[in-house]
This record gives sequence, C-alpha cells and structure tokens, in this order.
Amino acid sequence: MDAESYTDLMPIIFLGVAFFTVAISMLYWSAKRGQLRDFDKQAKTIFTEEEPEGELSDSFPAKPKKKKGRDKLKFESQ
Amino acid sequence: MSQSTTNTAGETPYSTNSTAERAELSTIDASIRTAALFFVISAIGWLMIGTVLALLAAFKAHEPNFASTYEFLTFGRVRSAHLNAMALGWGNNIIFAVGLWIMARLCRSPINHKGLLLIAGIFWNVGLTVGIFGILRGDITSVEWLEIPHYATPLLALSYALIGVWGVMAFRFRKGDHVYVSQWYILAAIFWFPWLYIVAQIMIIWFPARGVVQSVTNWWFAHNVLGLWLTPMALATAYYLIPKVLGRPIYSYYLSVLGFWSLAIFYNWAGVHHLIGGPIPVWLISAGIVASVMMVVPVVVVGINHHMSVVGLHREVWRSPTLRFVVFGAISYTMVSLIGSAMALRTVNQVTHFTHFTVGHAHHGVYAFFTMIMFGGVYYMMPRLLKREWPSAGLIKLHFWACAIGITIMVVALQVGGWIQGMEMNNAEIPFLQTVQNTIPWLKARSVSGIFLTVGHVAFAVNFFWMLFAAGAVRAKQGPTLLAEVKEGGVA
Repeated sequence: MDAESYTDLMPIIFLGVAFFTVAISMLYWSAKRGQLRDFDKQAKTIFTEEEPEGELSDSFPAKPKKKKGRDKLKFESQ
Repeated sequence: MSQSTTNTAGETPYSTNSTAERAELSTIDASIRTAALFFVISAIGWLMIGTVLALLAAFKAHEPNFASTYEFLTFGRVRSAHLNAMALGWGNNIIFAVGLWIMARLCRSPINHKGLLLIAGIFWNVGLTVGIFGILRGDITSVEWLEIPHYATPLLALSYALIGVWGVMAFRFRKGDHVYVSQWYILAAIFWFPWLYIVAQIMIIWFPARGVVQSVTNWWFAHNVLGLWLTPMALATAYYLIPKVLGRPIYSYYLSVLGFWSLAIFYNWAGVHHLIGGPIPVWLISAGIVASVMMVVPVVVVGINHHMSVVGLHREVWRSPTLRFVVFGAISYTMVSLIGSAMALRTVNQVTHFTHFTVGHAHHGVYAFFTMIMFGGVYYMMPRLLKREWPSAGLIKLHFWACAIGITIMVVALQVGGWIQGMEMNNAEIPFLQTVQNTIPWLKARSVSGIFLTVGHVAFAVNFFWMLFAAGAVRAKQGPTLLAEVKEGGVA
C-alpha cells in the first residue's frame, strides 16, 4: 500500500478511537455513580423474595415430590 | 436518571414482604410474555431452517453432486443462507427474547407499548425472510457475514432500532441506582450491534470505501458481531442465571465488572487478525493481535468467576436443565476464547488460516458457547412466562446430549482436520488437490455431528411446542411466579 493510501484507513481508525473513547467515558460515569463500590451487596441484587438467595430455583420436571416443593441448598455461605 | 423506590426502612421490592411489591416480577414477566413468545417461536423456526441448510451445506462439502440440480441449492448460497438464518434468525430472535426479559427483570421495569415491540419483531423477521430468499435466488453480496442483499437491510436496521429502544427504555426507567453486570453487558450490546451493522453497511454496501478498507471494515464487523453482540448477550445470561438458579451470589462481583470493562476496551480491536498476511499496514494487524491476546484478561476473569461460583454445587448444576446448558456454554467460552487468542498469533495463523480450523472455531463460539447458553435461558424463562412446567425431562436430556455430543464432534473434527490441512498446505511437496482430498474424512465427521445437532433441535422444538399448547404439561398453582409453589414434580 502506498503511503498516501493510508488516509483510506482514517474512517476505521476514527471509529476505533471513538469506540475506545465511549468505553472510557462510560467507565468514568459508572465510577462517578458509585457502581464500582460495595461489590458484595451489588452481587445480591438479583435475588428476590420469590427467588431468594440460598434456594435452588431450577430442576428437571417430574422429579419425586419434595416436602416443601423446593430444594434447599446446603452450603455454608448462607 | 433512575427512579428509586427504596422506602424509609431501606427496603426495596427485592427485600420487602409486601405482596404487592413482591408481585412485581410477575407483572414484569407478564408484560413481556407475548413479545418474548413471538421471538422464541421465530427463533426456533429459524433454528430449524438453519439446521436444514447446514445439513445441506455439510453434505455438499464432501458430496459435491448432492442436491446440485438447482442453482439455489449450490454450496455458496446454501452456506450463506445457513449463516444468516442462524446468526440473524436464531441468534437475534433469541437475544430479543431472553435479553429483553432479563433486562426488564433486572431493571424491575415492565415493558410498555408491547404492540409496537411485536410489530418491530414482525418487521425483523419479514426483512430477514426477504434477505434469505434473496441469498438463495442469487442476489447475495460477496461480503462474508453481510450477504443479505441491499434491498432487505434497511428494514432490518429499522426494526432492530425499534427493538433496541425497548432495552434502552427499560434501563432509562429502571428502579434503583444499581446496575448489575448483566445489565452492563446487555445495554452495551444494544448500542454496539447497530453501530457495527450500520457502519459496515454504509462503508461496504451503500457507499463502498476504496480497496482493502472494505476488508478491514468487513472483519471489524464480522468479528465484533460475535464479540460485541453474541458474546455479551450470552455472558449477561450466564451472569444472571448461574447465581439465580443456585441461589448463590456470583463468586466475585469485582471480577465480573473487571471482565466487562476489559471486553469493552479490548475486543473492538481484535477483528483485524483475520487479515494476517493481507495487504494492509502491519501495525494495524499488530494492534489486532495485541488486542486479541489482551482478551485473555476478560476470558480468564469470567472463567474463574463462573467456575468458583459453582464449586461445591456440581450436583445441583447437573440437576438443573438450565445450568447444564449454561455451564457447558461457559466452559466453551473459556476454551474457544483462549484458542482464538492463540489463533491470532502469526505463527499459529500461518497454519490455521484458510483451513477448516477457522470454521470449527466459529462453531465453537457461536454454538458451543452462545447457543448452548441461550438454550439454558429458554429453559429458565419459559416456565415463568407461561406458568407451566416443561412437559418432558427426557426430551430435555435428549436435547442436551445430542447437542453436546454433536458440537464436540464438529469442533474436534474441524480443528484437528483443519490443523492437518494447514500443515499440508504449508508443505510444498504435497499437491494442493491431495490436501483437499485428505479433508474428506473430517468433513464426513462434521456431517455426522450435524445429524446429532438436528436430533437435539427437534427434541427442543417438540418440547417447546408441547409446552406451549399445554398438552400434558404440568401446570403450576397460581402465584407470583412458578417458583413459589409447584403442584407436583420439580420446580421450574
């Protein structure tokens, strides 16, 4: 490729830089909004009263009937 | 920006005992039920069409005269129709279903204006149908991953924009300030995909750039469709379902955030490694190689996080239809990504380039990783949308084993055969025709793998429509979600 033809690559280079800039900007925004603090608490936000932490919420259908209809997990983190 | 509903006692809808607030999940599930069902039905339809096209293409690779009577059944058209049916038909429809459902749940925000979402979905599938027919009738473009003829793409772009808006609106009106890592992945992908698609369409199809810039744009797009669209959606699903099903928080939330941001920063540069040895500036290829190797960071981070999250609970993983598929996909993500980073190295690429190794690698990523996780997502989502149990555990097991064995055979056959092919092609003493003939046993193995995958897909489709029409399905009692109480059998 001739040296002057490198200008053909400018749109791609611009896009790459723009992409990178947007990613860094979003990272800055998330840091400012406190998204990068208190990770332990944030990891538990997916659990609900209906689908709580500490209980298995999925198994194959037509299994033998359980006493309370749910499987209780037995691991020590709870 | 967000609307917080935390009350004075510091409770959120996720911790309160209020029945009304606890019913929020059911409301959200109900709000997206019709649209999600439409997208899942469409996805399964495209999955079956794509499977037939894949079988045709696979057989024709070692039996060139097979079904060669008609032009629309020639290898080039069938293979490209298969790719687009799977990537844009199966892949995008299932993302619209599972991704939007997870987004709505995490944002605790019901989907509004469902009718418009449905219309956008119909437009997407009409546009794709026109595009696939266009490919088969010979209007195919010569650009890989962008083969759909130009008259179908505006409808695809417009309908995608309408669908993507719903994800953004759910995020915009979310309740609570926290953004879970799955939301980061989904939100980012919602922006990345249209950016990639529209820029590639403009620079290659509508106003073509000069010379090799088209190739650079082509592989920037094609590689990023996997890395910045399919990958984040699958990882978002895994990060939601693994802790959700096990009832155990993700091992390290810090690592999950680190994984997301390193993917966002590094992946965009990696696609150029497809042009190693091509007539483009060496520094550009080197940048792509560096980014490809840097991808080891998010891959190892995600791998450690997923592995540590299920440690000690392997029995529970095996008992869950959802996690069987999701964990298979998560393991595949680690493997395919590390192999991909190695393939970007010049010395390795000298062997694998222009061989079936790359084809095996693509299926490793799009099927063993992305598709298997999405299967898991459907197994978790559907009972909650329909409040019904899956009718057949046997069909779920058949689906899993047929797909797991099938894709393993395919990846091993194409990568081992592809490596041998590459070594032979680099040996000037071996005639080229001989190297082609030596690939035939491996290509036959791929056809066998296709039969396994077809069996799995049929089992999945039968179970899904059986459940949809509720013939013999176990119904759950009334309640906020299926999980609360189940009449008999296992929980959803």
